[in-house]
Amino acid sequence: MAGNRGARRLVTLLLVLAALVWLVPIVWMLSLALQPNELLARTTSNVAWGLVPWPFTLDNLTFVLSQGLTPRWFLNSAIVAVSMTLLVLALSAMAGYAFARIRFPGRRIIYPLVLAGLVIPEQAVFIPLYTMFADWGWHNGYAALVAPRLAVPIGVFLMTQFFRGIPDYIEEAATLDGAGRWTIFTRIMLPLSVPAMVTLAILTFLYAWNDYLWPLVSASRPEMFTITLGLASLQANFADSEGLGRVMASGVLASLPVVLMFLLFQRHVVRGIAMGSGK
Amino acid sequence: MAIPSTPRPQPAQAGPAQAGPAQAGPVPAGAPPAPARAGASVKVRDAIAGYLFIAPFVLVYALFLVTPFLRGIWISLHDWNLLAVAINPDAARFVGARNYVRMLWGEGIVWSADHQVALRLVGLVAVAAVLWAWHRGAVGRGTALAALAAGLLLFGLLLGLHPDEAGRWGDRRFWPIVGNTLTFVGLTVPSVTLVGLALALGLNRDDRISAVLRTAFFLSQVLSVTVVTLIWQLTFSPRQGILGHLFRSLGLEPITWVTDINLAMPAIVIATVWWSLGFAMILFLAGLQEIPNEHYEAARIDGAGLWAVIRHITLPALSRTTTLVVVLQIILHFQVFGQSHLITRGGPNDATQVLVRYIYQTGFRNSELGYASALAIVLFLFMLVFAMLQLRVSRGDD
Repeated sequence: MAGNRGARRLVTLLLVLAALVWLVPIVWMLSLALQPNELLARTTSNVAWGLVPWPFTLDNLTFVLSQGLTPRWFLNSAIVAVSMTLLVLALSAMAGYAFARIRFPGRRIIYPLVLAGLVIPEQAVFIPLYTMFADWGWHNGYAALVAPRLAVPIGVFLMTQFFRGIPDYIEEAATLDGAGRWTIFTRIMLPLSVPAMVTLAILTFLYAWNDYLWPLVSASRPEMFTITLGLASLQANFADSEGLGRVMASGVLASLPVVLMFLLFQRHVVRGIAMGSGK
Repeated sequence: MAIPSTPRPQPAQAGPAQAGPAQAGPVPAGAPPAPARAGASVKVRDAIAGYLFIAPFVLVYALFLVTPFLRGIWISLHDWNLLAVAINPDAARFVGARNYVRMLWGEGIVWSADHQVALRLVGLVAVAAVLWAWHRGAVGRGTALAALAAGLLLFGLLLGLHPDEAGRWGDRRFWPIVGNTLTFVGLTVPSVTLVGLALALGLNRDDRISAVLRTAFFLSQVLSVTVVTLIWQLTFSPRQGILGHLFRSLGLEPITWVTDINLAMPAIVIATVWWSLGFAMILFLAGLQEIPNEHYEAARIDGAGLWAVIRHITLPALSRTTTLVVVLQIILHFQVFGQSHLITRGGPNDATQVLVRYIYQTGFRNSELGYASALAIVLFLFMLVFAMLQLRVSRGDD
């Protein structure tokens, strides 16, 4: 038994070391963002290969927060991610409730047809979507960035699965009291589904914040870039652009909301991944 | 949306009056009279309510997924220049399957038994391994037969095709790019799976430190691809990168990762493994949670060592999870774009050019939307095979 415990300690020690190595790239980005640009132009390994931000400065962060397009990109990302999340929740919850609990004719045909959309990847539709939105004059607008993701049926799938798990007697009691479908949905089902909706909301938000290919195709004017796309445009010429420290500061800023969200809602992220992949 | 934001007081349920959402829609005049009574009216009300509840999503789904998908097939049958069609909508010329022929075929294509013989033999050995697994009962009959058919078709027949001396492929870049994409998937998926499994085995405990370590390993997964490429582009830089610093401090010459034709692909694989490991780890942890504790206790009573427990209890119990992780990752990494687009820009000399980047460039740099759409449809078909496989696995048919 003692030998076993020793082995366990060794494994833990190795895992701790591995985790520290694993975090080095993130720590490095953060550290570079906190060092002066002029220093970084000469060397990126001032103290401990650059992992210790010394000399320390907040100039890069204050610069990207106040100058250039980064604040605008940040705002765009926030608008796109929040509206996409709210709309996905509304559409998925309503459709999921109907598919799970209302016996309407044709649902056994429509539901599989909706789920079939899960096999169509973004890459298979982004060219025709581009031509459609170009015809409608939608590009370089928020609607163009939000709309394609609303059609992805994963949210409907998750909510349908969730609503199927709610026992019948809850709804039956409300029906006997004379409540209509909409009342049951808003007053009973939605409050019950908060955990599932939080999971779906976080996954949608992470996706919206990090999406790259579609914004790259749709948003061509720099004022309409999301932060993810803007960061890519900084990288294209990053040696000579605004300076390494400032690019890294933009990267830190772009990561802040998703990292905070993950740290606060870890449980939901983890469960969402397990649910979304058919576990 | 025509749905009232506040629910209205409901009349008695048996009456013909409609509940909230139903009120917004047209009520068919004189609902079906036949078997009548409350049953029929409830049915009609349910039908209307059901359709109204799904209407918003179905509308968006039809408009932004089904329509573009069908339109993509339509575009792929045309010579469709992005700029020409933007100016004159009639500029698209119907060419039938010509885009597909150009992509998949060429002039003077012949089949020979000894073309790419090493790769094909390896493939046939893999097929034989699947048959052996079937013989031992490790995989189901459906999987074995599908693998047999696909393997013989691919390794026995398709990979033996090549142009003769006078011939050439219709698109010289297509097959090498498919090969690059498969190489990327083939390097990334096993690495992520093995490391993810190892971490899950080490971190499947209820103590505080395991929880913190799980968070640490998962953290990179939530970053966007552009942050990941930002970090790794600099990390790989021989002069400024942290790997360069490490090599210099060991007295070695720093490696020029992204400009070396043999190291560019490993470089984006390393960045990808770092980025997407958390996903596999989480799924394996979920799988480990499902193994009943009694199994471990029984093994402990039998005096089994740690390694014996892992080999005879844990790994067999994780086989479905492992298949799921592998299939999901194949689907995910087949769509690789950002790493190749931003770290190596497809280079050097197309060494890291992958399918999605090729589609993007064909469509939006060369303005050949027709050909790009045909490429996208073929990508979809590749991925469909694995999506079907995922469906089978998550249903637990196998």
